[in-house]
Amino acid sequence: MTALLEVDDLTVAFPTEDGVVQAVRGVSYQVNRGDAVGIVGESGSGKSVTSMAVMGLLPRSARITGSIRLMGEELLGRSDAEMSKIRGSKVAMIFQDPLTSLNPVYTVGTQIAEAVLAHKDVPKSRAMKRAVELLDIVGIPNPSLRVNSYPHELSGGMRQRIVIAIAMANDPDLIIADEPTTALDVTVQAQVLEALEAARKATGAALVLITHDLGVIAGHTDRVNVMYAGKLVETGSVDEIFYEPRMPYTLGLLGSLPRIDESGRPRLIPITGSPPSLLNLPSGCPFLPRCPKARDRCAEVEPELTATTNPRHLAACHFHTELATATAEEVFA
Amino acid sequence: MTADASPIISVRGLVKHFPVRSRGVVRRRIGDVHAVCGVDFDIFSHETLGLVGESGCGKTTTGRLLLNLLPATAGSVLFEGRDIVPLSRAQMRPVRREMQIVFQDPYASLDPRMTVNEIIAEPLRIHGLYARDKVRDLLQMVGLSPEHGNRYAHEFSGGQRQRIGVARALALRPKVLVLDEPVSALDVSIQAGVVNLLEDLQDELGLSYLFISHDLSVVRHIADRVAVMYLGRIVETAPVEDLFRNAAHPYTQALISAIPVPDPRKERSRRRILLSGDVPSPVVPPSGCRFRTRCPKFADRLSDDERQKCTTEIPALTARGVGHETACHFAEALTLI
Repeated sequence: MTALLEVDDLTVAFPTEDGVVQAVRGVSYQVNRGDAVGIVGESGSGKSVTSMAVMGLLPRSARITGSIRLMGEELLGRSDAEMSKIRGSKVAMIFQDPLTSLNPVYTVGTQIAEAVLAHKDVPKSRAMKRAVELLDIVGIPNPSLRVNSYPHELSGGMRQRIVIAIAMANDPDLIIADEPTTALDVTVQAQVLEALEAARKATGAALVLITHDLGVIAGHTDRVNVMYAGKLVETGSVDEIFYEPRMPYTLGLLGSLPRIDESGRPRLIPITGSPPSLLNLPSGCPFLPRCPKARDRCAEVEPELTATTNPRHLAACHFHTELATATAEEVFA
Repeated sequence: MTADASPIISVRGLVKHFPVRSRGVVRRRIGDVHAVCGVDFDIFSHETLGLVGESGCGKTTTGRLLLNLLPATAGSVLFEGRDIVPLSRAQMRPVRREMQIVFQDPYASLDPRMTVNEIIAEPLRIHGLYARDKVRDLLQMVGLSPEHGNRYAHEFSGGQRQRIGVARALALRPKVLVLDEPVSALDVSIQAGVVNLLEDLQDELGLSYLFISHDLSVVRHIADRVAVMYLGRIVETAPVEDLFRNAAHPYTQALISAIPVPDPRKERSRRRILLSGDVPSPVVPPSGCRFRTRCPKFADRLSDDERQKCTTEIPALTARGVGHETACHFAEALTLI
């Protein structure tokens, strides 16, 4: 069985006045049917750019190489018209800010129906009926009334649920959610994540969930990709990433989180320094300046993703075997 | 913490209404946003009070009122026993030395045309206390090197900028610091460093913090006591461990249960209390208990008589244990983590 989405050695570079920004530097990953894959990383790690490339939404100035295959078909190099047929029907995307992804002058019902009509030849009345069904699935109360609301009449959480309804309108095979709850309060975030789960259940779609919130990743994904400086630095099942991290950066991220489920006051373990500029990366491991485990070899050769104990759990660290039982305190203290 | 001493800050019956005006030339006052409605709390010396709640609950307004940056509609803020609400700007000036604020957005709160040295020296100059050594010491205190002083704010990362903001706030050696979402704009790996710095500074300088945040994980980490706000009122207040273990107000319970935990096994088995609907408008807040429109208990488990009570009677903060107060007629402790 071929994977639903195969990203292979993807690189994305943006020429700027100051030089070429290497936003994504050779990223490969797969998403199988029905899987939920999380992509974590800090601002500027390339997690959004990777997904925008899948959707064919990068600006024309971007230089993209590698391969992105959806159900075996190459997506890179397709024209915008061809991509339009795929976007919304096979792959749908949910962005961070629902207010900018909705059109303020149309009712939400019209916008959901528009998404249906873009890919299906059905009468408009059927599309509007479908809009009401979709609103019900994402948990909007009084859906038959709410279809006639405008985005400004709804709260942030409701708007994001409308966006989810639009994303699932055509039963896509893959939903990409880019920081879908970052702008929302926690109780609303819980509602929206619930709606996203409902949408997945109704469509059977696979999910790529991009977020910097490791808590959201822990609860809603099966596999996790950790990105740093435009590369995948660790990939594995959600349990492997959280319980047996093999890359110092992942370990550091987990150690720096204050935990609501821990009493007492263990000191947080920050990662010193800040992520490197992607303008002219030095050779060697991009995490080197912040890594307490760094040695000579790290400055010479950039580590590739290599299998750890499990062939599906990969880490980009020369010394990942040493991290097998390490805790963040031991490594970063 | 010295619990028996008198509080350094004591807030009583604090109210802030913002007028809502009609459109057009006349701009009649057509209503009020009830941003803060009768808030009481104390902050003791060397203590961190966490003030949590979702956007629009009035936590930032409360912080500003505490510093008299906004005039309060009613109520009093006692700083070391003296009410600062009626003070004029000139009278406030000496008090400002004692109370400072760190803002959320480290990109907007530093003047881009000033060097870091100038930014940190500004409060010292205003109060006639400038000395070059002080600026250098402050930079070191927040983990920056003195050479950084000649650079401009845009040359620093978010975490470093927030450190500059902290240095500026500490320049006058205040006793109280209002920290308004000080780490919310930072990436997690950077956030930890700033949180540690704030803890160290508190130990070193004996500061009292009002730590305003929507992030309960950070609050659990840094606060000694926590006050939970909803729609302008404090609904629950308790020592930090007690709050997280025995949350008794349905809103606090929903809030705690909604926080995702970075632990897949725990996360899979957790019980979530989902709230329905959205926060009502603070222009026309619900009668009685303000949370009742979203309260799962009100919706599912109360009898009509009990509901009547929630609709008509405003629940007062009542004691449930040492320092634990809950504003709910039907409060019941729940363990959620």
